[in-house]
Amino acid sequence: MIQLSYLDYLAIEGKSFLHRLSPRWKVIGMLLVLSGIVILRNLSELLLLYGILLSLFFVCRLPLRIFSLTLYPLIFAILFIFISGFQVHFILLIFLKVLCGATGVVLLLATTPYPSIFRLLGRVLPSFFVTALFLTYRSIFILLNVLEETQHALYLRGGFQWRHPWRSLTNISNAFGHLIIKGIEASEKMYESMTLRGFKNRIHYRGE
Amino acid sequence: MSHIHLPDGILPVWLWVSGWVIAILVGTILLKFFKKEDLNRRLPLLGMMSAAMVLGAAVEIVPIAYHINLTVISGILLGPSLIFIATLVVNLILALFGHGGITVIGLNTLILSMEGILGYLFFRLLWKTLKRLTPATFIATFFALSLSTFSMIGVVGLGIPHYEELIHQEKEKGIFEFKLLGEKGDEHGKAKEKGEINLKRFVAIVLPLGFLGWILEGIITTLIMKYIHRLRPDLLRLEKEAV
Repeated sequence: MIQLSYLDYLAIEGKSFLHRLSPRWKVIGMLLVLSGIVILRNLSELLLLYGILLSLFFVCRLPLRIFSLTLYPLIFAILFIFISGFQVHFILLIFLKVLCGATGVVLLLATTPYPSIFRLLGRVLPSFFVTALFLTYRSIFILLNVLEETQHALYLRGGFQWRHPWRSLTNISNAFGHLIIKGIEASEKMYESMTLRGFKNRIHYRGE
Repeated sequence: MSHIHLPDGILPVWLWVSGWVIAILVGTILLKFFKKEDLNRRLPLLGMMSAAMVLGAAVEIVPIAYHINLTVISGILLGPSLIFIATLVVNLILALFGHGGITVIGLNTLILSMEGILGYLFFRLLWKTLKRLTPATFIATFFALSLSTFSMIGVVGLGIPHYEELIHQEKEKGIFEFKLLGEKGDEHGKAKEKGEINLKRFVAIVLPLGFLGWILEGIITTLIMKYIHRLRPDLLRLEKEAV
């Protein structure tokens, strides 16, 4: 999640053909990838889809640093393989579906600035929901700043150590408590400034 | 643990479509009860708590594949209606990072919001009877998480015929393709008897890990509540009920 700001930077600063492509086409492309993931049950077809997504990833010259984001969901897929009794075909099927989905969404986020995605969503979803989505996205960055400051204090108090589980749990909980209180205070200020700027149940994006 | 960390395309279509339909229906009904002004006023708080939940989900305890949800504390701070919208937002953002499929957002919202709503209800009930923050928070979190984990297992269990179909289609296409139809049917039956799809095995893995997670999240939620109670007790709105 810490890489969120880096993804934002890539989406805005990137110059590849996918960055220049209209967000509408990219969202349509993502929906096609999703349909493929749902419909395809053949390993070779899924491999082909993953190959296409991987080549797009490298053609767009996205840094390898964010490639790890596409592998992260595999942690959870590992848990699910127990249901299949270690059937190789089923495991590969799940892993490929996970990789296709994760690579697709990382490609979308790394090449499309989030206001453009939210603007598109605003056409199909209720404005209240899209505003909530936008505020959550904005709040993640606010909380990440608070978290960065809190981290220093946390390390000074011993941070997280497996040898001292109770102290570590207390430290982590206090950090989250601090994060929540600071977050709520920031949300109160945010509401005041939004009201001053004429906020009435929806946020307008540039170009609207 | 109560979050379905399944990719798209694994659960049967009827299941995830039903999840979406029910989630949209519940969301629409809940929003009808809210005044527009109240909703606008609480939007930044909703955004902030959703962001805290997203950050909580990013802190992965790798050996037990567990991350804290913060749904119970968010439920207590936001109330039962807003926690539903918050979990929908959280699931959408998490899905955009590959943390659970996009198609399962509806089901995940139902399960996670159940955790938040039950946590809120249990906490209020226990606070009224016990008047003590630590046991009320811990018990509420523990039971809310355990019930949502069982509902997650139930949802995964509903898809068993579909998983069997996914496994057997390959066998039928591959090494068994030369057999006669009747024999193919027998083989299919034997495979089922062998118990290739085994929910018990899944439950045996999930429940012990889940149990550790419920205790861990119960402790963390309790410590966070104590921290908030010490610094900003007004946020918990307990004064009028306290002795």
